[in-house]
Amino acid sequence: MSYRLTHRRWFTPWLLVAPAAVWLFAFNVWPSINTVVLAFSNAKPLGGGHFTGLENFARVLDDEQLADALVNSIVYMLVCLPLLTVLPLLIAVLVEKRLPGIMFFRTAFYTPVVASAVVVALIWGWVLDDQGLVNGFAQWLGVVTEPVPFLTDRWLLLFSAISLTVWKGLGYYMIIYLSALGNVRRELHEAAAVDGAGPVRRFLSVTVPGVRTTMLLVSVLVAVSALRVFSELYVLSNGTGGPGGRDMSVVMLIQLYSRGFTGHLGYASALSLVLLAVTIGPMLLLLRLDRKAA
Amino acid sequence: MRRYWAGMAMATTLVVSGCGLGGTEQEAAAPGPSATGEVKGEVKGKISLQTWALKPKFTGYMQGVIDAFQKKYPGVQVEWLDQPGDGYSDKVLSQAAGGTLPDVTNLPPDFALPLVKQGMLLDLSQADQKLAGEYVPGGVDAYRYAGFNGVYGYPWYLNTDVNYWNSELLTANGLDPDKPPADLDELIAQAKTVKEKSRGKVYLMSRRPELGDLTNIGVKIMSDDGSRFTFNTPEAAALLDRYRDAFKQGLLPRGVLTDTYAGNAKLFTEGTVAWTTAGGNFITSLAADNPSLAPKVVPSVAMGTPPLYVQGLSVSKRTANAPAAIALARWVTSAENQAAFAHLVNIFPSTKASAGDPFFSKSDGTPSGDAKVIAFTSLAKAEMLQPVQVTEAMNKFVRQQFALAISGDTTSKEALDAAVAKCDELLKG
Repeated sequence: MSYRLTHRRWFTPWLLVAPAAVWLFAFNVWPSINTVVLAFSNAKPLGGGHFTGLENFARVLDDEQLADALVNSIVYMLVCLPLLTVLPLLIAVLVEKRLPGIMFFRTAFYTPVVASAVVVALIWGWVLDDQGLVNGFAQWLGVVTEPVPFLTDRWLLLFSAISLTVWKGLGYYMIIYLSALGNVRRELHEAAAVDGAGPVRRFLSVTVPGVRTTMLLVSVLVAVSALRVFSELYVLSNGTGGPGGRDMSVVMLIQLYSRGFTGHLGYASALSLVLLAVTIGPMLLLLRLDRKAA
Repeated sequence: MRRYWAGMAMATTLVVSGCGLGGTEQEAAAPGPSATGEVKGEVKGKISLQTWALKPKFTGYMQGVIDAFQKKYPGVQVEWLDQPGDGYSDKVLSQAAGGTLPDVTNLPPDFALPLVKQGMLLDLSQADQKLAGEYVPGGVDAYRYAGFNGVYGYPWYLNTDVNYWNSELLTANGLDPDKPPADLDELIAQAKTVKEKSRGKVYLMSRRPELGDLTNIGVKIMSDDGSRFTFNTPEAAALLDRYRDAFKQGLLPRGVLTDTYAGNAKLFTEGTVAWTTAGGNFITSLAADNPSLAPKVVPSVAMGTPPLYVQGLSVSKRTANAPAAIALARWVTSAENQAAFAHLVNIFPSTKASAGDPFFSKSDGTPSGDAKVIAFTSLAKAEMLQPVQVTEAMNKFVRQQFALAISGDTTSKEALDAAVAKCDELLKG
């Protein structure tokens, strides 16, 4: 009897969610609200700052470096999105099979995920450097006479970073797909095979529809993380953003403006909101495509 | 529709909270009890002292200094806080914003300026009128700021840059280590010789110019009133053009476009570059990283005006025990305590009384000893080559534009104009 009474107290559910709710408010909701407020001010970390209306957003329109950063982030997303949505699925289909030694390949694909992004980027920096492994090997083979400027040319640096992101992300999304593939009914594959469908046909007509929801989830995760790229570009360019800062991502710009004693918190917040707006676009598109496909 | 909202919430959470900014406007510090006039009173009470990355290497030294202070003033209790090397500016910023700045804090001049602007530091020229007479002018001037009367830090220790040459690489590539380049013309000429003799495997030059290099050729970085930047001059463009031509001829490694200054010394340590600039204690650290190279290094005086690097101790205006805080800052930076510190590590005292100390002016005959003497004698004409108003963000934009000019992707004039425009924009906030 007493148990039933305790269970029915009106505040019990609130008590249970309170720790998570406090955490969510303190570290997600409040910083988000604060970012919106700061975007309309010229706030500094140490005093000063007042309401400046749309001044920060007018400055955004004139910022050539932001234009470069947006191009970089969008190219990043456009290249990463198909690669990291499809390649991990193909790998998952391959390693899903119960063959001798398959655990080795599963582990090998997943290993880069465990490594820190900064450490991996540092290693790639050494590999792609003028005196690095790739250039040394290419020169030894006689493929090139001069080192390829992987880390100092605007586009080569960007695509080097994209390659790193794709390589590192394959294992992570592969694991997500592996769990989704487990839910695709085996009878469907058997029925398709009986009807004469080959492996490609079964993949397109049975596997892909079976993991379509997961593909959408992966696409959204890839799109958001690609637009928010930071570590890869930061470490490969040694924090400089490349000559002229043309390889900076939007997050690198936000970090640059918000740090230090004289950080421009208002402008950095406005950049955060620009990034939010840019991120919502592809998300809405992906969700619409999913609804149409359904 | 529910999916749309779930997606929107996800994006909002990932983007906005990830980039969220917690900072809010802070009230300027209220004037402390010793806002004006000389601070006099009994040295007593509890005070805090914050240093930067002295533990664990110099724990014994600092604890000895603090113990001696507490012995001299039995009514004082010092709480010593030492912060790690990385993220020190962020730590000080959070302390200042939260009103928890220690009573005495190690602040280089560029860290102290924003705190001075907010009225958070004590004017020590008022509080301690003997200050200017006891410390070298360069050190004291580093804590004077345009638009503010007063001195906002006790200079603690000083350093400067020395040229270091890899004698083995120079000899192997047809150059005389005893006749190192004395200016940019000679440097470029010798860099060509090294490139030709080594067939491009060894470099002499491995750093791109920075604002200090412009100061060194007579370019004024800022207007006198500190209200705008002025370094987009034809002379500055000519200097960048020379580096661009040198880069085009392959006299600098391509990594110089994205490398930081530390990269210069790193390549030197690896033995792929024959010249670097570094502080007076560089050979000591080199001996640990590359023991076989250290004895082959020849030091020489830095080209042009040597840069002056200053560390100091500032006193919070909010300190509850101003007499004790000032006494502690003065004690730590006293000639005796600085000299004892300089015997442990290659730094140089900022007190006038230390100028005649033979420990600094006589070499023991080793390359490290020679470098120490060169650095010490260089301090007499060393200057802060970059205005303290130049922030980390400004420095980054300048480096990016200089790299772009040197790569040849834009003209030097365009790069300088872009850098000045951005620095002005950041200065105005």
